This record gives sequence, structure tokens and C-alpha cells, in this order.
Amino acid sequence: MGDRKQARDTEFQSFVIGRWPRLMRTAFLLTGEQHAAEDLVQSTLEQVYVAWRKIGSADDPEAYVRRVMINAHARRHRRRLKEFLAPRDDSGLVREVADTGDRIAQADDRSALLKALAQLPPRQREAVVLRYWEDLTETQTAEAMGCSVGTVKSNAAKGIAKLRAIPGLAEMVSEGGRR
Amino acid sequence: MSADRENHDMTHKDIALLLADAADEVEIGIAPYQAVIRGGRRRRARRLAVAAATALVLCGSTGATLALAGLPGGDGDRVAPVATRPTAPVSPEERHVYAPQRTTLATGTDQGRTWQVYIDVWGVPRDESEARRQLDAMRAVEEEPTVRQAADLVGKTSYFVGRSIGGKSLVITFDTVKKMDPVKDGFEAESAPLEPGAAGPERLVVGRVGKGAREVMCKWQDGTTSVARKAFDASDDTRGQGVIRPAAGTPVNWFVCLAPSETGFESAEVVK
Repeated sequence: MGDRKQARDTEFQSFVIGRWPRLMRTAFLLTGEQHAAEDLVQSTLEQVYVAWRKIGSADDPEAYVRRVMINAHARRHRRRLKEFLAPRDDSGLVREVADTGDRIAQADDRSALLKALAQLPPRQREAVVLRYWEDLTETQTAEAMGCSVGTVKSNAAKGIAKLRAIPGLAEMVSEGGRR
Repeated sequence: MSADRENHDMTHKDIALLLADAADEVEIGIAPYQAVIRGGRRRRARRLAVAAATALVLCGSTGATLALAGLPGGDGDRVAPVATRPTAPVSPEERHVYAPQRTTLATGTDQGRTWQVYIDVWGVPRDESEARRQLDAMRAVEEEPTVRQAADLVGKTSYFVGRSIGGKSLVITFDTVKKMDPVKDGFEAESAPLEPGAAGPERLVVGRVGKGAREVMCKWQDGTTSVARKAFDASDDTRGQGVIRPAAGTPVNWFVCLAPSETGFESAEVVK
């Protein structure tokens, strides 16, 4: 029993360390803020730890983790909607980058995109991030968001349309991104 | 690669590149493994205690109608009589190995639909044969425990807290433990949308408290609150108001809170 528990802990540790960077990037796109992203990922992994016996042996633990993170994001967003979307005057990453006039153009691009993402309704943002950053299929995205494929299509399409409608972003998009 | 992925790769590759570029803005840092473990253990302890515990409070918030259904038994708490616990159960059936003790923790009506929160507590299998049969029985009612094989159930009790509405049922929390720990201080709670599988606000709160807790205050995201109070007897049916009650097979009391529509769970605390 003890050996099995130790093996599970080791397995979970590997999972955490291995997935942390990507989860952080996804969380950052969802929240638009460094500390919020860290909180979201940590909270997600805590929940995953509780159910690790079940998740660790599942065929696709990633799917469960995504679902937990999206649920947590949706919950937090409802709670802190105004906080996230309000213009930031102090430490907010989006504003911080945008306010610095001599930033390199790439940072401006990132800022514009993050700002545009932050202005999307949460479900549209989730759909865009899961589809185009996580590169999930519509079916996988629907599973992560707990909704139908049709809802994913609708939210992703609306989100993309709004992103493309932003002037600064349209220029970036026409260049195919900076990388 | 699926067709839809190929399609979006072709049409929105530019967006994908921009997202990847923006994602690089975040400082990755070192994975806080120890902090995750500490947080995870706290959450697990809550769940285990919830399973081991016995009470569920229904906090009927504004407009919510909560009613409590039957209480099959308790653990000697003076608040509710022990109705179903045998004095010296011998057979697996008497020990609830093949059929759980179900306690309805709360019922109510939301937007014209009746909902219910319940806890199923499965007795302890004494050997692998009983465990195998118990696992089959659990699966038959779609209560899948967190074990890799039936033998892992031997010597342990399993509990499932779930809610049902509109003909759909879904477990909110569950666990399989050697012993249900009583809650000495404070409380632990889980929240979930009332509608199984919905992405809406987590309006439903199910928690367990120590036997001594007399009032629990649930705070909602819109700033309103609901209070659950300890029942004075098993038949206490305070519709529209939360109640702290025992549940058969668990050593704690339980409460259920339901937030008003359009808001969700923020926090809860034992106030008395």
C-alpha cells in the first residue's frame, strides 16, 4: 500500500513538473495575468491531486486536467470579471506592456492580443484558446468546456471574428504573426 | 489529425501563431509541487471528512425552497434518532455492503423543477468476495469508486454525495476510506452547479460539520448569505431554510446550501 502510494506520488510529481509550463501558458491566455495564471494552474493541480488515483490511470489525463482548469477559470471569471477586464493602472501585465512607449514591437503585439483576448466573453476566450493554442479538435474542446460541439463552433467563430476586427491585431494577422 | 483540426490549421494558423507568441510572455518559473501537494491534501482531507461525516445542510437562499426528506439514521447524535443502524450487523446485507444507506440531505424546487441532494454510504466489505459483489452493485447504480480493483474495497467504506434534477443525477463528491474521520472543528464543503454537467454558477453547496456546529453561514458571490441551522429532530422540515442534519453511516453532520439563481458559492463558515 505504501509503495503504491509512493509510486502514485512520484507519478504525480512527474506530471506536475512536466505539464506546468504548458498549463501556465494556457492559463495565462485565459486570465491575461501572471499571478492569476499561477493561481489557476495551482488550484487545478490541487484538484487533480485529489483524484489522481483515478486520473493517473485514465487513458487521457490531459482531458480531465483541461476540464478542471476550464471549470475553475469559468468560476473565477464570474467572480472577478470586472477585476480582469478593467483597465489596469498598476501591476496588470496588459496595461504594463501597453503603457511602455519604447517597448519593442513584439511586446506591443503581445499586449494587443492579450488585451483583445481579455475583452472576449469567457466562453469565447476559452474556445479560442483551446482550439487555437491548445490545438484541440472541436470535440475535445467541447469536452473540456462541458458543452456541445455546436457551442464550441459558435464561440470560437465569434471570438476569432472579434480578434480579427481589432485594427492592431489585423495588421499582425496579415503578417502571419511575428514568429 | 482530424478533419476539423486540419481545417482550422489552414484558416487560423495566423491566430495560433499570435497566441503562441503571447503565451511566451508568461514567466513559467518552477512548478510549486510542494504547494500543490499541500493544497491537494487539504482538499482531500475535506472530501474524506465529508465522506466520513454525517451532516448536510440545506441553506435555502432567497427564493429557494429547500425541504428535507427522510433521515435513515445517524451516529448517535441526539439531534436525530438512529433509525437504521443495526446494533450488531453480521450479514453483508445488514452491513449495507451490497446496497448503500441513502440519506436524502435536501430537496427543493428550482425554477419549477424538483431537485434532491443525497448521500449513499456503502458498508465495509470484509473479504474480496464481498468486495467484488459490492463493486458490481456500485457500478449498477453508476457509483464508480476510486479503486483499481475490487480488492481495494476490502476494509473500507465508500460514500457518494450526489444531486438529481430533471431526471439526471450526478455525483458531487465521493471517496473510499478506511475510516470516516469526525470533524472536530470548522467544516468542509464542496460546490457544484445545481444542474449536472452545466457550466453555470456553482449554486449548490454540500458540506459537513462537526456535531457541535449549530449554524453555518453560506456566502454567495453577489454578497447575499444564507444560514443553515441544526435540526432539532429528524422530522424537522424547515422549508426555505437550511438545516444541518446527520446522515446514516457517517459520524458528522451535513448541510446543503442553494444560492439564488445567477450567483454562486463564495465561502461558508460555522458561525455558532
